[in-house]
Amino acid sequence: MSSLVFYLLTVAIFFCIYCIYGWGLNLQFGLTGILDFTYITFVAIGAYFAGVAALQPGNGGLGEQYILGLHLPFPIPPIIGGIVAAVLAILIGYVGLKRLRSDYLAIVTVSVGQIVWTLIGNITPLFNGWDGISGVPQPFNSVFQLDFNHYQWVFLVICILFAVLGFLIIERLTHSPFGRVLRAIREDENVAAALGKNVFRYKMMAFVIGSIYAGVGGALTIAYIGAYNPSGFTTMETFIIWAAMLVGGSGNNRGMILGAFLVPVLFNEGTRFLPSPPGNPLLAESIRGMAIGLLLIFAARFRPQGILPERKTVFRLDGLQQGGEAGGDRLVPQ
Amino acid sequence: MAIVSFPSSILKVTNLAKSFGGVKAINDVSFIVREGTVTGLIGPNGAGKSSVVNAISGFTRVDRGVVELAGHDITNQAPHRIAARGLIRSFQIARELQKLTVLENMMVAPFQQLGESPWRALISRRAVMREEREHLAEAVDWLQMFNLFALRDEYAGNLSGGQKKLLELARALMAKPKVVLLDEPMAGVNPTLTKTLQGYISRLRDQGVTFLLIEHNLSVVEAICDHVVVLAEGAVLAEGQMNELRETEEVISAYLGG
Amino acid sequence: MSLLLMGVGFGLITASVLALASVGLTLQFGVTNFVNFAYGEFLTIGAYLAYFFSTVANLNIWLSMLLAALLTAGFSWLVNRVVIQPFLKRKAPLLILLVVTIGLSLFLENGVQAIAGPSFEQYAASSGAIVNIGPMIFTTQQLVIIAIAIVLMTGVHLLLKYTRVGKAMRSMSDDPDLARISGVPIQRITDLAWVISGFLAGLAGVVLAINVTSFTPVLGSQFLFIIFAAVIVGGIGRPYGAMLGALLIGLVTEVSAMYIDSAYKTVVAFAILVIVLLFRPQGIFSSKGRV
Repeated sequence: MSSLVFYLLTVAIFFCIYCIYGWGLNLQFGLTGILDFTYITFVAIGAYFAGVAALQPGNGGLGEQYILGLHLPFPIPPIIGGIVAAVLAILIGYVGLKRLRSDYLAIVTVSVGQIVWTLIGNITPLFNGWDGISGVPQPFNSVFQLDFNHYQWVFLVICILFAVLGFLIIERLTHSPFGRVLRAIREDENVAAALGKNVFRYKMMAFVIGSIYAGVGGALTIAYIGAYNPSGFTTMETFIIWAAMLVGGSGNNRGMILGAFLVPVLFNEGTRFLPSPPGNPLLAESIRGMAIGLLLIFAARFRPQGILPERKTVFRLDGLQQGGEAGGDRLVPQ
Repeated sequence: MAIVSFPSSILKVTNLAKSFGGVKAINDVSFIVREGTVTGLIGPNGAGKSSVVNAISGFTRVDRGVVELAGHDITNQAPHRIAARGLIRSFQIARELQKLTVLENMMVAPFQQLGESPWRALISRRAVMREEREHLAEAVDWLQMFNLFALRDEYAGNLSGGQKKLLELARALMAKPKVVLLDEPMAGVNPTLTKTLQGYISRLRDQGVTFLLIEHNLSVVEAICDHVVVLAEGAVLAEGQMNELRETEEVISAYLGG
Repeated sequence: MSLLLMGVGFGLITASVLALASVGLTLQFGVTNFVNFAYGEFLTIGAYLAYFFSTVANLNIWLSMLLAALLTAGFSWLVNRVVIQPFLKRKAPLLILLVVTIGLSLFLENGVQAIAGPSFEQYAASSGAIVNIGPMIFTTQQLVIIAIAIVLMTGVHLLLKYTRVGKAMRSMSDDPDLARISGVPIQRITDLAWVISGFLAGLAGVVLAINVTSFTPVLGSQFLFIIFAAVIVGGIGRPYGAMLGALLIGLVTEVSAMYIDSAYKTVVAFAILVIVLLFRPQGIFSSKGRV
């Protein structure tokens, strides 16, 4: 297999994973207006827990320390990743979602991101600290016994299956009465409450479902790379997903696909090989960070609705218009 | 202050009090709203009308007093619980859900829709669709009656001020409320539309809908209110029928800068 | 007991740094009514500017600090005018505004890293003689930091209490609509709030960098949530609350660091933040709620 094909496969796999991340964030922010400034923390939690669910029990051959080590077969690790991310979301939601102002949750998420990152790095027995865990088995490879290159195809198929399922679920939710309530909350929480909607509960559900997407996406990431450490979930990673959402179209799951292609794939991959001078080994990384920051500001300034804006819902009314005359006698519909 | 509880009283407010940072917004307010009537709540600026509305609908907590809706104590309950009990309020400044269409604004209103549960939305698609059809039929009826049908697929944010007011009333009715609490529905509305809204409210009342109406315009109040409660400085100054109240000296002085 | 008092000593220093930073953040919030998530980077910029003046231009550290704070104040004014105001003019929703400040934070942090590099920096100035006050140990540098904080907090107090701009700021914070109607020059007061906020951030950045001895471009962003903790404990938008919040968070984190691993003192600040948000979101030092 040529290295180009291998590279394209890798990009395609990450494209699928970024779509999954993006849909979750889009449900939180695009639909509900929840500011989750540490989305990547949920990805990381999902990745770590999926990783230790798939790994052999502790202190493997590499002398790494980690909890659990359940040695469970695929697809149980991604399910565990999703569940753990959901639990974290519930905890954070209880602190941050009860307040009326959206800033509070944003503050809580920023703080949680900082804390979780510090704790995972410092408490080595959890997930092997700053070095992270490695050697996570690839799904089904014990069955197929393929070499590394050919296995890429298998993993791409797995990712596509997850992405398609994720898309179908998120689309159905978006266009259901549930999605409608979320959008009502985004527009005006007080109106939603005055119409009998339990705003806290709905925001919590959106936050949790979005986090499940993050957790499952994280689980796929660790299953693919086989390793994960705190440098994989820096603040910047969160905002690559944010930029993808804002550029593609917040509130539009198809726009999210476009955004996942434009930002993480084109932009990220395109700048990955920027040279860095020896004096400043992180220069390329810094420039990418600046660019993502600018992208967020410019997207918010010039096209906050994204390239593919939220689609207008148009109901089909066939058979419903009985030609009721305006101002007729019967005012209360039967 | 003895309030006789008529069997037909649907909303009952007793000895309500609320202060903000030492300032008493509501001092001691008691009144009842009877089923199938339009009750007006009037008073000069700063009389505490909006505070009473917010207190009844659960948007501000009260310090003291009881609010009962159809015999249930709803004092200091969360707004969504009060709404679910059948008291739907409007807002002084029309608060349409901007990036939802007119029809969607209507479709949000019904309580406990099956598809509002994410789980049911995923697995019971048929039942959800069926329920959507039912709600859609009702929404279409209401929109036709309020002359908004042609605008059904327009974003609510694009409506004119008057149309937003109509939509807000239609949306409130879509929730099948026991009591509709309207906070200055005629504010900023042109005279023609005021007449139209007046007509709607009267006819809805005739069909059994109960209204509590906060209103500035006394001729509107006189035209449609069966009973009027006058607030001043956070307390009930007088109550009765508008034509009687017009003769009451306290009311006149409260209104005409006494 | 002496361990406790030693912690109190460290706590007073941290509280001083935190007070400067928190009052700056909360003043800007009070006037503009949104959180600036790029505030941490304002501290970072202050710290690096002072590094430039003291190490490259060989100026005295305190003079460098003053220059850095003034430049950060100007920068903060520019941020408001160039980045924030265009959004306010278009009546952008709060959500978008917050996304913009977080985008700015990412841009600035990486900008500093691109220019200064990711390695650790340290001011050349010596920390001065050791002063013992009971079991508490301070360097003269640290005593100066405490003095700076006291002077500036007094200054903020006088400004808010006795000057017309201060009163205008308070009225904008209490009731923006009323302030507008009663003829408060909104634009000028907003500008001023950003300038003061930037000045305090610049100072805080430098004293923070002095206090932690060596720093990198993530100096401010890692400190940001401790600032949030102090601000929220005091009631967001309330300068006096922020001072008390800073004192509380400073003392509690440093005293706890005497008894547990000091790597986890940020966890203590976080725990306080969570407890306050759960049980008293309007802040423990504020009497009335703020919706």
